[in-house]
Amino acid sequence: MNSKNLHLNDDQVIRSVVAENDLPPTVRNHLSTCLVCQGKKQQIEQELSTLGRMAREFAPLPRREVRLPFYKPRSLWSWRPVFVAGFAAVLLIAGIWWYALVTTSQEKMMSQIMWETKQDEQLMAEIYALEEYAPVDVYPDVSAEFDAGYFDEFLRFVSPLEVNQNAV
Amino acid sequence: MADTDHHVTELVEKARAGNRASLELLVDHFHKDVFRMVYYRIYSLMDAEDLTQDIFMQMLKSLPSLKDAGSIRPWLFRIALNRVRDFRRKKSILSFFGTTIELEAAAQATAENHNNPANAMMLKEFQLQFRQLTDSLSRREREVFLLRFVDHLGIREIAEVLKKGESTVKTHLYRALKKFRQNPGLHGLLKGGLL
Repeated sequence: MNSKNLHLNDDQVIRSVVAENDLPPTVRNHLSTCLVCQGKKQQIEQELSTLGRMAREFAPLPRREVRLPFYKPRSLWSWRPVFVAGFAAVLLIAGIWWYALVTTSQEKMMSQIMWETKQDEQLMAEIYALEEYAPVDVYPDVSAEFDAGYFDEFLRFVSPLEVNQNAV
Repeated sequence: MADTDHHVTELVEKARAGNRASLELLVDHFHKDVFRMVYYRIYSLMDAEDLTQDIFMQMLKSLPSLKDAGSIRPWLFRIALNRVRDFRRKKSILSFFGTTIELEAAAQATAENHNNPANAMMLKEFQLQFRQLTDSLSRREREVFLLRFVDHLGIREIAEVLKKGESTVKTHLYRALKKFRQNPGLHGLLKGGLL
């Protein structure tokens, strides 16, 4: 591109007003040397400058002053309500947690005691029943499991050995 | 310019530390700029005054949260822009009926301040042409255009105010300038300038 002969088009002139450094180097070089293109750019800049000046000049002035309340920067002491609120919240949470813990452990303990009491009562009922309906003393004597040697003796009494041998 | 910026930064630091005199100086420094910024967005004198008051109250409230004292200007304009948006949202229907009357009333009030009748005429014409131009722009284009050429903010500052990228700001500005170039009425007025 022959930058000496090719002037900037309208788009490039506007782009140069927005940000000249964003233009391609060849266009930028041309702009730095070409008085025609510089003139176009300056014309837009002049118009914009006049626009800004007129806007400033023609804007109405505020009729009221800004009223400021008393301003005091926040010191650590000014955060006291926040600290107090935070501490109260921590206490509250700790209280709820402790109450829940105590209540739960008490409930657990009570249920354990009740279960043990029930077991004891059941055992005692069995013991009473055994005492109340205890078998007479002879029953253990005829029980096979009571004494195996006694059972053999009983058999010999019912069927003596000699009689058995003679029969054979 | 750098001296002024340094002075403003100092005022911000002192105001944050609770110095009332600095705070008042800071408000004085930005009062007209903020008022004008609001006025050219809502075209209502009374509402602009109320909003300006609100904006400085918000500034006072949020000043401790300002991270960089040097960026007070875009920060303040961002507060102002948010307030204007809230205002528009609330009064969208009312402003539709009342804007023209307000505009004429405001132009009349400003014209009374100009002794030169030719300038007073020009003021009315300017207000109308300027309004036509801003109405022809999209919301973003209008915002970027006004911030750049009426409020005199840099591209970076505008990006900060709008929370957009610099390239986005440039694109909107380019489109706005194209439309500005196509407005013959305003061009004639600008060539005439102030008498």
